[in-house]
Amino acid sequence: MKDIFFDLSVRSVRLNLMRSILASIGIVIGVVAISSMGMLGTNMQLQVKDQLSAGADTIVITADAVRMGPTGSSSSSSSSATGITKTQLNKIKLAAGLTSKLVPVYSTTTQFTLASTPGRSTVYGLNPDDITKFLTISNGTNIGGINDALVGATFATNFDLKIGNRIRIGQDTDTSRPVLRIVGILAARGMSSDNVNTDNAIIVSDDWYTNQYGGKDIYKQVNVIVKDINTIPDVKTAIDTKLNTDQKKPAVRISDASSRLSGITSSLSSITTFILAIGGISLLVAATSIFNVMMMSVNERIQEIGILLSIGTEKGEVRRMFLYEAVILGILGASIGGISSLIIGYSVVSYMIGTTKYFFLPESIMYIPMGMAIGLLVCILSGLYPAWKASNMDPIDALRSE
Amino acid sequence: MINTPLIRFADVSKVYHLESGDFTALDHISLDIQDNEFIAIMGPSGSGKSTMMNQLGILDVPTSGELFISGRDVAKITALERTHMRRDTIGYIFQNFYLIPLLSAYENVEYPLILKYKKRDESGKATAMLKAVGFDEALSAHRPTQLSGGQQQRVAIARALVNDPKILLCDEPTGNLDRKTGFQIMDILCGLHSEGKTVIIVTHDPKIAEYADRTITLEDGRIAA
Repeated sequence: MKDIFFDLSVRSVRLNLMRSILASIGIVIGVVAISSMGMLGTNMQLQVKDQLSAGADTIVITADAVRMGPTGSSSSSSSSATGITKTQLNKIKLAAGLTSKLVPVYSTTTQFTLASTPGRSTVYGLNPDDITKFLTISNGTNIGGINDALVGATFATNFDLKIGNRIRIGQDTDTSRPVLRIVGILAARGMSSDNVNTDNAIIVSDDWYTNQYGGKDIYKQVNVIVKDINTIPDVKTAIDTKLNTDQKKPAVRISDASSRLSGITSSLSSITTFILAIGGISLLVAATSIFNVMMMSVNERIQEIGILLSIGTEKGEVRRMFLYEAVILGILGASIGGISSLIIGYSVVSYMIGTTKYFFLPESIMYIPMGMAIGLLVCILSGLYPAWKASNMDPIDALRSE
Repeated sequence: MINTPLIRFADVSKVYHLESGDFTALDHISLDIQDNEFIAIMGPSGSGKSTMMNQLGILDVPTSGELFISGRDVAKITALERTHMRRDTIGYIFQNFYLIPLLSAYENVEYPLILKYKKRDESGKATAMLKAVGFDEALSAHRPTQLSGGQQQRVAIARALVNDPKILLCDEPTGNLDRKTGFQIMDILCGLHSEGKTVIIVTHDPKIAEYADRTITLEDGRIAA
């Protein structure tokens, strides 16, 4: 059955077509803003999540308290150095169990000279046996001799390095400037969640590192690589119980990929919410214009409403007629908005993120139907008061109006 | 009582509360109108004719007293029941026709049927009603603004009649028509009266009032004659 009230609404929209289209454009803009911004934020989150998922099986333990540096350190030995001690490492080993792999990591930043080009980068000191536990050597071999070193993929590309090249470590003013020989280049890791970012770094043996910088058995961090990712919470608890005996002053900080990931994604989702809110403001503006158009429609049709009411139209039917009008404007705006969002959203994501591989995933694409639904809802809400006003008119007064 | 009147005003008053003070538009009116009467209501401007028509059309309720239409006290029924009585019991014909501008002539007549049966009319009743009032069928798809005054009033009468109401309320039905068309419309109303409708007509024109069985003259909200 074709509803005559729907017919009346369609005819009213058609009668004031230009005004209706202009009001709908507001909704189009609102829907596009919400959908595109939402998709942009989500694509950003998905990309970061993907990049951080390397190292998801790793628990990272860093020292929370400040300890004194050991004697014999080449740097000013009395200054405080933060690190995991040998005793703590043994406790971690016990708590983590036999199936987990332990990787104690030394790290610092250093200046160096390559041919005659100076540079600065991170230096990781690792036991050569640990390197293959979590890093991939794409070119060359692992560290064998004391002066051997590995470099990250970006580092190698930037300095156009080849196997056998030499790096002079330290500042020009330093008296002793040891030379390292590059024996291997690591595969690119991207932004890694285990705090070992090797792409732009130099990797040396732990012995060379402690000889150069001191601080033997005071590790910057200890990575525990678990065999089964599901045991991470248990292993974390075990380490926590063993090492952080005083819960008020925990000795070590224990984090894993998921907690670090949730930290990053929660700040990213705050950004998403913020830009969504900006999109929301445009819908608020659209709501005002829909409200305005609906009020104009009601005010122009007071006499018609009077006729409808006086010949026996129920209040609910008058309300329905005006709500239909709001729904028509909403559907018009939301549909055009939905299609535009697909095109504009795709372009924005492609331009801002650089990839559209996450665009059609449900968590991203869902912003289009969501934006459309919000647009429609905004229209209906904007039409509620005008519809209520129309249905509650006094038919005698309404008939009298010209 | 042998005959329950179709309409009974029992001491009906209507008072409007204005800023300048209370205005009594109807002042203790008592009046019975029987089934199938043809009544003319006359009186100068401000005498209470429109107020009385609004009461008869159940667009308003008395401030005091009781008004029974078809045996029901209109002040004691719900707003929805009053709406349904307007739809089913009363046919309203206005001086300004008051057709729905967005609907065609045919749809204007079909409209009360849709209100009553909640579906489009398939019985052909609307077309038959337009034919009965002498409306040119070729114009039935036209919007009201495309019709002459006489044609519009025919559509309005067809609309008023389509739900077969007992009472036809006519508020200056010929006021906006030329004399010749006015008499044609009056002929239609007379025909409807002879078919059994109760016709109540408000008019300034004594010639029109002559069609009626009984004339009620209002003055300052009271029945003068």
